[in-house]
Amino acid sequence: MMAEPLAPIATLQSFEIEITVNGGPWKGNVPAEEVLLDFLRYRLKLTGTKRSCESEVCGACTVLVDGKPISSCSYLAFEANGKSVTTIEGLASGGELDPLQEAFIRNMGAQCGFCTSGQIMAAKALLLDNPSPTYEQISEWLNGNICRCGCYPAIAKSILEAAEEYKNRR
Amino acid sequence: MLQPFRVLTPTNIEQASAELVRLGERATIYAGGAELILLLRYGMVHPEYLINIKCISGLSEICWDGQTVQIGATVTHRRLETDPLIRERLPLLADAESRIANIRVRNQGTLGGNLCFNDPHSDPGTALLLHEAEVVLARKDGLRQIALSDFLFGMYSTGLEPGELLQKVLVTPLPVGWCAAYLRVHRYQRPTLNVAVAAKLQNGAVEDARLAVGCVGPKPQRLSELEAKIRGEKLDGAKRICADSKPYLKDRLAPVDDLLGSADYKIYMAAVLLSRALSQASRSNGKG
Repeated sequence: MMAEPLAPIATLQSFEIEITVNGGPWKGNVPAEEVLLDFLRYRLKLTGTKRSCESEVCGACTVLVDGKPISSCSYLAFEANGKSVTTIEGLASGGELDPLQEAFIRNMGAQCGFCTSGQIMAAKALLLDNPSPTYEQISEWLNGNICRCGCYPAIAKSILEAAEEYKNRR
Repeated sequence: MLQPFRVLTPTNIEQASAELVRLGERATIYAGGAELILLLRYGMVHPEYLINIKCISGLSEICWDGQTVQIGATVTHRRLETDPLIRERLPLLADAESRIANIRVRNQGTLGGNLCFNDPHSDPGTALLLHEAEVVLARKDGLRQIALSDFLFGMYSTGLEPGELLQKVLVTPLPVGWCAAYLRVHRYQRPTLNVAVAAKLQNGAVEDARLAVGCVGPKPQRLSELEAKIRGEKLDGAKRICADSKPYLKDRLAPVDDLLGSADYKIYMAAVLLSRALSQASRSNGKG
């Protein structure tokens, strides 16, 4: 059962926002102080995005805003107004997993799995920016996505394989 | 959850300044939020109002006026890392920017926010000191321009006066034919310490040099005495002088013990990095 967020003492200001989340429109009011992570997890029940360090360090809460990776724990939800947000739930389409998801499964790019949605979203952003990254570029781009199980080699291998797969599908 | 606040969205810098004057300590400037949201979460600041300056036109621009690169306060780190003009004219800054924390922080955080927060463990300030950068500060009744070295006053404190905000940073490229390098050591996202070095080399000797060190004490500093000392020296001699400069650095930098390293460690590594950065700069083939 999912814990509800603590009710704020009293919201002072709300914003009416219109955003696209995983391809679908969303329109409504959000308190000024609501961060995107809480918006996604509690308002939209998209719990694939994980809360962890809440300090922009670990990468577990990584989502894409207009294709760019951000820490949803520290990004005010109203800032997404007019923008497109992609979370781990938005990667599979028509019942088919994204090549990144398939590669992570194939290579066991996770042990406990808590960081995985953040890893995959960071990798997605990388492949949007650079469809043919080197191992070194992968490690630079994902240096802010921490895996305490230490699955880094399998994560990097998965990203290299997914990059090839994207090219084959094109 | 963050404590509730209101957001004001001025459309020009005079309005923003007027709000700062009107609200005083009840308000704080919100640029990228990379630092501010953390301070709000940890309860270290309790503003009633965030003054969102992202909608002020001009603040997110980078332009070249023929002599200096003008960088608006809300330009993000990621943009400085990738912008063709910055990479061409200020490659040292682009390099330093590319090392900041992680890709998400660089997408969100701004140069203005970074300088105004003035965390002593930070990348851009050290690189900008090498360029003798200036900052333009705006108030509703006008502008003033001061050296970045005066602006970066001390740990988490700046030369901003009440009602004032940072409008832009003016950065002059290194003279033609100079080479440069930026080095840092880090165990976490912030640099434990960093150095920026630029030099003009002629026949294997240091004709002129600029040296800066950050994170060792309360603020990044230029090392003018050490710069004078290595002028005219052969590269190897200059490297040795830097490597032997620990007593001077200790005296000059007001080193402090902190969570990222002891004062002794940081002084030791600053000397090592200065020497190493001279080597690296000399191999960079004049590409500033």
